[in-house]
Amino acid sequence: MTNHRSTRFAVILSMTGFGVAFASMVVCAQPVQTIGRVKIAAGNAFVLRGSTSIPATPGLALLETDRLKTGSDGRLGVSLNDDTRISIGPDSETRLTHYRYAPAEGAIALVLNFVRGAAVYASGQIAKLSPDAVRLETPAAIVGVRGTTVAVRVDPE
Amino acid sequence: MMRARAGFAALGVVCALVSGCARMARVAVDDPQRPPQDLAVILPDSDGSVGRATVSNASGATDLTEARAATRISRNQAPSAATVLTEAEVEREFGDALASLPPAPQWFTLHFQFESEDLTAESKALVTATLRAVKERPVPDVLVVGHTDTTGPAALNFQLALRRAQAVRTLLIAAGLAESAIAVASHGEAQLLIPTPDNTYEPRNRRVLITVR
Repeated sequence: MTNHRSTRFAVILSMTGFGVAFASMVVCAQPVQTIGRVKIAAGNAFVLRGSTSIPATPGLALLETDRLKTGSDGRLGVSLNDDTRISIGPDSETRLTHYRYAPAEGAIALVLNFVRGAAVYASGQIAKLSPDAVRLETPAAIVGVRGTTVAVRVDPE
Repeated sequence: MMRARAGFAALGVVCALVSGCARMARVAVDDPQRPPQDLAVILPDSDGSVGRATVSNASGATDLTEARAATRISRNQAPSAATVLTEAEVEREFGDALASLPPAPQWFTLHFQFESEDLTAESKALVTATLRAVKERPVPDVLVVGHTDTTGPAALNFQLALRRAQAVRTLLIAAGLAESAIAVASHGEAQLLIPTPDNTYEPRNRRVLITVR
């Protein structure tokens, strides 16, 4: 009887240990979660991350809150994990403000801010699973989409 | 004399009209003093279909429902009524951005034998097709996501779907795909292809979806 109870205790203990290890793994994994990659880059094209400016090259991994930015001869095209595609023309800037794609946990969201210049958004799985989870913002309006491709141009202030 | 004066007057009116129009055109297109304005256009998807977009702010909303339908939005004003741009106008405004849009992804759906990590015979052939799609892309990303039907508990299905996705990953690597290009995930029974109640045997839901982008 005692033996049985201690076995059960050991099982519970090890399960708790596993739970803690799993939870900490998830927590650790979150800040460096890659949300997509640069696919096409030409001319002066950058990914702005915090206060650093990274030259955009095909294959570069993207993180939430990255800003895509180009100079007068720049172009940039990216794919996100849910198949969303975004591209910008010269003298343009678009911010990948918010991104969640974990359908099994019911966590999906996409917020883009078109800051300046020309941008194209082609919808992916997030728009298909939950159109309301997608918000495309310009300085003057919000674009809601029902699975589609939208081009937006924003005048400089 | 009278006729000459009338002629001059007419000429004056025409001149005024022409310069007026020119000024209006400048105001509309490239007057640096024009208040900032956003432009939003809906475009056909890569398969030719046209979705739907709603452009809104505190002052109003405009629906864009046909190819190249556009609205212009000035700060603190409602979006303008929808107008349809020509293909040339779209090209002028967005040509560079459109040329930089990565190609649409390609999908391959592989099916499994019941409660097994073995592919059906038809699905084995799709591994070759996947590799072909990968070779066509400059920076290929391959995502392998496992799905199950709703037979059994969700937690076990999450694990089963993950094992299936990993089995496909092993096949792709054996066929020559670089390990670093492949990501594996499980959506368990959370994303059914064919909607069913819980505990429902449905072979079409037992699948691994490969996305090549």
